[in-house]
Amino acid sequence: MILLEIKNRIIEETLLHRFNSPKPESIDITVADFDGVLYHISNPDSDKGKIRVSISLKFYSDLKAHGAEELIQKFYGDYAVTPEDGYDISLQFDYENLPANKEEWAEKAALLKCKCFASVFHKYFQLQRDGKQDATAIIHYRDRETMYVSAQKDRVTVIFSTIFTDDDDIIIGKVFMQEFKEGRRGSGTAPQVLFSHAEPPAELQGTDALTGQNVGYITFVLFPRSFKDEAAADKTVNLIHTFRDYLHYHIKCSKAYLHCRMRVRTAALLKILNRARPEIKTTEKKTISGRTFARK
Amino acid sequence: MPEVHQLIPGPITCHCWNGDRSRFAISPNNTEVHIYTKKGSKWEVQHVLSEHGQKVTGMDWAPKSDRLVTCGADRNAYVWTFAGEEWKPSLVILRINRAATTVRWSPLENKFAVGSGARLISICYFEKENDWWVSKHIKKPLRSTVLGIDWHPNNYLLAAGSCDFKARVFSGYVKEIEEKPEATCWGKKMTFGACMAEFSNGGGGWVHSVSFSPSGNKLAWVGHDSSVSVANQAADGQVSTVMHSYLPYLSCLFLTENSLVAAGYDCCPVLWMHDDAGSLTYINKLDTAEKKQKEFVSAMDKFKGLDNRANAGGRDVELDSTHQNAISEILLHTGSRENVSKFATVGVDGQLVIWDCKSLESSIAGLRFK
Amino acid sequence: MRRLFVKSQRRPKMSATLKPYLSAVRASLTAAMCLENFESQVVERHNKPEVEVKSSKELLLTPVTVSRNEKERILIESSINSIRVSIAIKQADEIEKILCKKFMRFMMQRAEHFFILRRKPIEGYDISFLITNFHTEQMYKHKLVDFVIQFMEEIDKEISEMKISLNARARIVAEEFLKNF
Repeated sequence: MILLEIKNRIIEETLLHRFNSPKPESIDITVADFDGVLYHISNPDSDKGKIRVSISLKFYSDLKAHGAEELIQKFYGDYAVTPEDGYDISLQFDYENLPANKEEWAEKAALLKCKCFASVFHKYFQLQRDGKQDATAIIHYRDRETMYVSAQKDRVTVIFSTIFTDDDDIIIGKVFMQEFKEGRRGSGTAPQVLFSHAEPPAELQGTDALTGQNVGYITFVLFPRSFKDEAAADKTVNLIHTFRDYLHYHIKCSKAYLHCRMRVRTAALLKILNRARPEIKTTEKKTISGRTFARK
Repeated sequence: MPEVHQLIPGPITCHCWNGDRSRFAISPNNTEVHIYTKKGSKWEVQHVLSEHGQKVTGMDWAPKSDRLVTCGADRNAYVWTFAGEEWKPSLVILRINRAATTVRWSPLENKFAVGSGARLISICYFEKENDWWVSKHIKKPLRSTVLGIDWHPNNYLLAAGSCDFKARVFSGYVKEIEEKPEATCWGKKMTFGACMAEFSNGGGGWVHSVSFSPSGNKLAWVGHDSSVSVANQAADGQVSTVMHSYLPYLSCLFLTENSLVAAGYDCCPVLWMHDDAGSLTYINKLDTAEKKQKEFVSAMDKFKGLDNRANAGGRDVELDSTHQNAISEILLHTGSRENVSKFATVGVDGQLVIWDCKSLESSIAGLRFK
Repeated sequence: MRRLFVKSQRRPKMSATLKPYLSAVRASLTAAMCLENFESQVVERHNKPEVEVKSSKELLLTPVTVSRNEKERILIESSINSIRVSIAIKQADEIEKILCKKFMRFMMQRAEHFFILRRKPIEGYDISFLITNFHTEQMYKHKLVDFVIQFMEEIDKEISEMKISLNARARIVAEEFLKNF
């Protein structure tokens, strides 16, 4: 599992299970996802016949400004209903009147978060295609971590700012970023990736972008070939919006791996030290039944 | 082959023999003193003396009067007498506030000396009126812990080696209990505590051990700077020092007037020769032990080995010597001070080894104790 | 990928300077590890490693530093009843630095299993061992020396292997991500 899944598997499986169950069951679960996203699956008004999936994003207001609502409406159609209190979007399914293609809709519901993000990308892709420009979109997708999207004449630029909470993460992060920078050579269609540490890139000079030793900026330069048609655009969006989590996930995995190695090596060194310890001669004897006893 | 006794698994701090060599005492690196006696061909613990509150650091057994003296890190010394069934301690008033390090009876057994970390030596003698052991202090010019002491055969002079890199000869003449001493080459006037001679090899090694030659005219000492030195007072205090390329010695003993055996961190005793011309030379190692055959390893031990130490074979920890760890003490076993025929060593490996000079002479070509 | 594979498979040949470095360390350690029991002459009823308390000047020996180069060196401080061995490990770049730091911290948190490991390194070094006469009484001295030598070899090797594997992972992660565009 190198790439992160863009859909939320818990949502998908739970829904599918409910859709397929012979009789309606009550449900009330809350699921967390990356970037502080919360899902809530419940029965509205305690009506077992209805299943509601709601999502709450702290940065929904940022997304709304870039047409998130329209995209959700378009993608989910009538299943999108008035949001539940405290949540930003709600989808509702009627047990008596389930969609014909259950699998497809369970998966679609699980893509809720991805689709929220998609709106802003699609908007800027379109702007670029039309040769127009607009102010940079600023999405505060996490506390103190921000995503900037802007359209230029010949490209769309996506910049992530990310915080490394641990000092060592910065250094491991740099190793990864170095590879992202160089990795493009292996793939002709990949976007150009730039990385700047501590200082924001030139595009963000003069904004309130954070500076500091533990801040990193990653810039993706997307040329029109990355969003030349619907399919390409979707692919690009799916990948790029998970980037931050992908990076941090692998930094954590690397640390876990290193930790494992240290544990093994430390155990091996301990054995070498044990060679210096004289063996304690035990007078352990076996009885006829095979049990052992130690004479003390 | 030397006679080897593996007494305990851990270190032996110090040991001593009784007059007829039918018993010996050791301290197993703790507060106890174990007295061994021979049963058949094996030595067995006969008595355990536990009076000290901290580690026992030194002991000596007076051969004629059959009294044992022990001293320890608890700043105390006890004189033990064997009364029928058991050993009875009597406390010695050492008047020191740091650990005692070593103790030796004088040749006539009327007094003994205790070296200590209080940077002084207590000369202890029995006061009949009060029925206890009292002490007098030799302080100057000791500047650090005393590690080794040895009595001159005349019963008056005492040599001491200490952590201030010096070997010294003091007068231990206690006028309360003995006659005025006659002059020796070390000097005429012997008021108590007088420093008759002070030697340095010019280097900076802690002096672990000192030894007078049988005549008392020569003093040998070994230092932590891997040095062996002999001062010949009969030849105007001429000092011969050799800085050798082995690990430092911890103990030394004159076997004859000219031959000196020393042993320490290299785990085997070494013979040195000092002639009247003042040349000090390395003669030979006295240990002819060869690497032992690899012991048979059972399947069970193989797996245990893999689990514990990540190697399946035998331990392969044996050294090519009889002692498997540093030798801490060499003592005369059989013979007179003029002509030692056997000497005993104890070490950190828990072994007591008795070396026979005659058989050493025959097993090592060209070796002579002169 | 192939390039990497070859890199990690090839065992680093003992370089020309490593062997004399390690044999110098071995000889120095063997000579320094001549320890005896010693009760404090300053504090009553105490028995503490003199190399740590440093209460009497005459009980300390001149410290010895064996250097392979500017970065890799070992400091041996000796006293009558204890020695302190401090090792500075090669750290060519930022990554090796953090790997070394993490690894040494990991080990020092387990100091009680290692008996001779000091919980904090001496300033200027990455890890320190404190060996007392109690250790040399209970363990084989020559095997303790072996351990320190082997430790020095293994740590260097481990850190460079960890670095290689970290780079390999980063490369695969980046390639996989970018390939999907």
